[in-house]
Amino acid sequence: MRLPPQPDERIDREAAIPFTFHGSRVTGFAGDTIASALFGEGQRVYSRSFKYHRARGLLCCSGNCPNCMMRVDGVPNVRTCVTPLHEGAKVEAQNFWGSLDHDLLTLTDKVGGPFTPVGFYYRTMIRPRRAWPLYERFLRSVAGLGKVEKHGGRTRRYDVEHRRADVLVVGASEAGVESAREAAGREGRVVLVDNGLDPLPDLEGVEAVRGTAIGVYEGGLVPVDAGTVLHRYRAGRVVVAAGAIEQPLLFPGNDLVGVVLPEAVRRLVGRWSLRPGARAVVVSADQRGLETVSLLEQAGTEVAEAVDLRTTRVREIAARGRGGRVASVELDGKKLDCDLLVMSGGRQPAYALLAHAGASVEYDPGRGIFLTSAIPQGVDAVGAAAGDGVAAAAPSATYNGASGKGKCFVCICEDVTDKDVKRAIAEGFDSIELAKRYTTVTMGPCQGKLCHLPSIRLYARENETDEASIGTTTARPPWQPVELGLLAGRPHEPAQRTSIHHRHKELGAKMMWTGTWRRPHSYGDPSGEAKNVHDALGVIDVSTLGKLVVRGPDAAAFLERLYPNRFGDMKTGRIRYGVLGSDAGRIMDDGTIARLAEEDYYVTTTSTGAGAVLEWFEWWNAVWGLDVGIANVTGALAAVNVAGPHARELMSRLTDLDVSNDAFTYLDAKHAHVAGVPSLVLRIGFVGELGYEIHFPSPYGEHVWNSILERGADLGALPFGLEPQRILRLEKMHILVGQDTDSESNVFEASMPWIAKMDKDDFVGKWSLERVQERGFREQLVGFEMANGVVPPEGGQIVVDGRPGGRVTSSRWSQHLGKAIGMGWVPPELAEDGAEIAIKVDGSVERAHVRLRPFFDPDGEHLRT
Amino acid sequence: MKDVFRVRRMWRPRGELRDRYDVVIVGGGSHGLATAYYLAKNHGITDVAILEKSYIGSGAAGRNTTIIRANYRTPEGAEFYRQSVKLYEGLGADLDFNLLFSQQGHLTLAHSDRGLITATERAEVNQLLGIDSRVVGPEEIARLCPEMDLSQDVTWPVMGALYHPPGGIIRHDAVVWGYARGADRHGVEIHPYTEVTGIERSNGRVTGVQTTRGPVRTDMVVSATAGWSTLVADLAGVPLPITTHILQAFVTEPVKPFLDVIVVSSQMHVYISQTDRGEFLIGAEIEPYTTYSSKGTFSFLEYSARHTLELFPQLERVKVLRQWTGLCDLSPDYSPILGKTELDGFLVSTGWGTYGFKAAPIVGTTLAELVATGETPRLIAPFALERFYTDTLVSELAAAAVSH
Repeated sequence: MRLPPQPDERIDREAAIPFTFHGSRVTGFAGDTIASALFGEGQRVYSRSFKYHRARGLLCCSGNCPNCMMRVDGVPNVRTCVTPLHEGAKVEAQNFWGSLDHDLLTLTDKVGGPFTPVGFYYRTMIRPRRAWPLYERFLRSVAGLGKVEKHGGRTRRYDVEHRRADVLVVGASEAGVESAREAAGREGRVVLVDNGLDPLPDLEGVEAVRGTAIGVYEGGLVPVDAGTVLHRYRAGRVVVAAGAIEQPLLFPGNDLVGVVLPEAVRRLVGRWSLRPGARAVVVSADQRGLETVSLLEQAGTEVAEAVDLRTTRVREIAARGRGGRVASVELDGKKLDCDLLVMSGGRQPAYALLAHAGASVEYDPGRGIFLTSAIPQGVDAVGAAAGDGVAAAAPSATYNGASGKGKCFVCICEDVTDKDVKRAIAEGFDSIELAKRYTTVTMGPCQGKLCHLPSIRLYARENETDEASIGTTTARPPWQPVELGLLAGRPHEPAQRTSIHHRHKELGAKMMWTGTWRRPHSYGDPSGEAKNVHDALGVIDVSTLGKLVVRGPDAAAFLERLYPNRFGDMKTGRIRYGVLGSDAGRIMDDGTIARLAEEDYYVTTTSTGAGAVLEWFEWWNAVWGLDVGIANVTGALAAVNVAGPHARELMSRLTDLDVSNDAFTYLDAKHAHVAGVPSLVLRIGFVGELGYEIHFPSPYGEHVWNSILERGADLGALPFGLEPQRILRLEKMHILVGQDTDSESNVFEASMPWIAKMDKDDFVGKWSLERVQERGFREQLVGFEMANGVVPPEGGQIVVDGRPGGRVTSSRWSQHLGKAIGMGWVPPELAEDGAEIAIKVDGSVERAHVRLRPFFDPDGEHLRT
Repeated sequence: MKDVFRVRRMWRPRGELRDRYDVVIVGGGSHGLATAYYLAKNHGITDVAILEKSYIGSGAAGRNTTIIRANYRTPEGAEFYRQSVKLYEGLGADLDFNLLFSQQGHLTLAHSDRGLITATERAEVNQLLGIDSRVVGPEEIARLCPEMDLSQDVTWPVMGALYHPPGGIIRHDAVVWGYARGADRHGVEIHPYTEVTGIERSNGRVTGVQTTRGPVRTDMVVSATAGWSTLVADLAGVPLPITTHILQAFVTEPVKPFLDVIVVSSQMHVYISQTDRGEFLIGAEIEPYTTYSSKGTFSFLEYSARHTLELFPQLERVKVLRQWTGLCDLSPDYSPILGKTELDGFLVSTGWGTYGFKAAPIVGTTLAELVATGETPRLIAPFALERFYTDTLVSELAAAAVSH
């Protein structure tokens, strides 16, 4: 039922909008919110409360309180009082067993009061311990508010827009609009953000945006929630005009359905032409509450009494209900029947955004509200948010301490009563921060908007002190709750693919993740692929290697300082293996370094370490200020490794280089055209057979790859994946940084002492490595062969005297060797060739023998010939 | 049962600060309060003052994501935390305060073969030390957490997990209050809003502290100040290899509980649990920069939300209610620094990074023993400050950095 047309009504009576409430068909009008449409259909109970399952109805009508939260189209906790109605909306109330009108859990209200005082769960169910999980299961079954579709997926597309504003005004209140107008044309780009229901103001030179400011973060970042778009504003100046929030009064029954704040009356009558009740009582500590009287009369609501608490002292207010709805109110014993009770405890400036920005928040005893001070530069507060026009409340009148019958709620989100707060104080939770955590006041969906001020007033009163010395809790973002989906944006994470990726797929590769890269695990037969490298010719895509160009007059000096190796004495065209160490002497990364010219080095890194190494290089370059430039060419260049006895024959077909062993020896680097593509060819051998690593521009990836497989077909050229590569490198005992080493490994204990040239003047980590030499080894990285051919798990434990004494870092079955082999860390006394170690495999202990030299081709003859 | 209804003070109101105590504990968080509690209970040392610059539990103890577990990587770490979990299991009864310890189990997801190796290593170490911990495959994960997105066509498909059944969540504030009440009942004095501003020394020994409420003489000072450790140690002239970073977390609005296991993804730097109130409690990794600012960042909300939805896309429309930060004291090897320093009578509990709260009971018992006997208990010997001079580090990077 609607009132006759009201002067400023926002509904379009011609445009009926059908929707459903618990499956029943109902209707509202264009201009309605979901809550107002339901009110028009006679609905008064909107939800059941968190703990006591009390009936709750519209209270603030401003999107602040939890009372109107419902499940809409499967989305839980929608504040329906500020959510515009849409056709076909499926609306359901939340948090009840049975039905909204007959909630079986109201039992907790009937018996709960005296039996479940604040913090009762800390004092019960302690013994026996076994009982607690059962009790917890019950608690969990009744906890929470709205339901999430358990197996639902993502349904919406969210976007983010990065925007800039010279002035960003939050809130289209009168003061906000005025600020925007003043700034327009004078301060560059002016943006006005507002989350209200009214049309945005049309101001010249001001861009108006519908949305909710989430917070004010460092650097003027103000993210704005605009539904499915997140506007990330960087603002030169932020003007907070977020208004003020009406505060409830504390009295028994203050949560009954029909007890409302003034704004609810304003909106119900003025906006939606709804009569809030038949007979009303108004109890107000400010002018705002009293102003509803004329509105109520205009709506045909009889106003039984309007009390101005500033002038009339009322010792005892108590609302009495029937079926959860207000039926009467007693003012100092005088009983007035009513179905509507308008209460107003004054307004509290909405300071949260200012507090996020770093302003201090202090209680103003004269005005009975919290005000901000020391607002940081670049942020301003105007209007009610700054306290302007917020009429002085009569704080002493907002709570009279009378407890009487019935519950008096301080926090309606969490169902915390005045008794709970008093009890907390009596128990010694005498700081507001402690009390907040004990009672959970301000920790519910309203985040203190309606309970912060009343709870602190109550606190001051009970502690017999003033509000100012009670202090305040910290306001934390977001200002209004914000959807995870909006924050997350569209569901994509970075992923990297090499330029040969599609060929791998065509060749039937099983793909796997390594860092952000997708790489071929194998092409179906890891053992066979490894064997083919030993017997004929394999080709692997190693484009994922990090690739850095280090160039300049100080390039040699730069690398000399960074690596424990020596690079200054390298001849042009030669390559060295390098292990990068941290300043604590720990292994960070490894790779090859080729000297391409006097002042020009080409550095490769591990696939996953590229980013960290680049950062490390740049960090030290900034520290040392050497004359050297660093370029990351990881993505620009593809790389392919060909390895096996026929690799030389293949290279002779693909290039016009003299590839004889004398002309192109092991660890040579040469520029050449490979299959017509300008390339850098490195003769190195991670997998233990004669090999060439070809680096060339990425766009030619598939061409070079195809050429190798075509021209090498008669040589037995076949691709191999990462898994066979791992078998092959393990046969050679070549380490994988991060797998065979951890954050504490150094080159000495990792059995690569020849890397560290301790006679060099200095290098990063030298001091720490000297300490390692002094103290002696505590563990050592070694190879091992299993006695019975069982492959232990990677990460498995080497057992010494029944305790973890070392660990397996790599292990594989080598078809070529006919052995189960591995690498791992052992105590130094076991780091001897042939020493027996015990490895835990599936609960039993398997024997293995330590090997200090590579399992395959220990002298590297295959690589050199 | 009648205790439920009787209003009893948890602790005495703050009294006058006396001019001398046997032991002064700096920091009224979980470590400081636990140490005081066990000093009194296990060793009869009750002339103890806890000096807290704010309210009790105002730092890391009240800001962490409440996860308790023992599935560490190094034998030293795993043994230490095994004892801690054991103590936590009996702590509610010991303190006669229900800490709402919910041992719902803890899953550390592996999204790569490297991740699986780490999980295996932790499981193997744990099993040797008698800790319930094992590697599980996608099928068992689906049984433990049917609501998680285990499809393979996502950015980070789940390949397996380290499953640790005794892992759980606890009411962190209750731990603080329980210890505070227990310590107070044994006669320990708790002094909130009392900041230590100086540490007096003479001949290489501690002789007292200066506070905002006047000087106090003592020859034993225990600093348990987490993010502020280096500042307090500076007062004692003890350099610490600690950097202070922020760690952030957020909760959502309460929704009906359906997630009954803690889910951690180190790869995605996110850990997710659902509280007994129905809120999803979500945290991330430590921020890489050092700061004492407790301001949260928006980018944290963005990346954490993104990663959360990778695992639980059904939470798309669930709303973030509140974000906060805490200070973390990070050591170079991600293991704590515990016990004696070069200054006689100045003990520290620091280097806790993101995993200090889990250790409160065991820190309390071992530090109390150290104070009482002067001998460093075996369990904490590997975590001595001295290890940075002898280079005997305990690398927990793999298990501690982001694995709550």
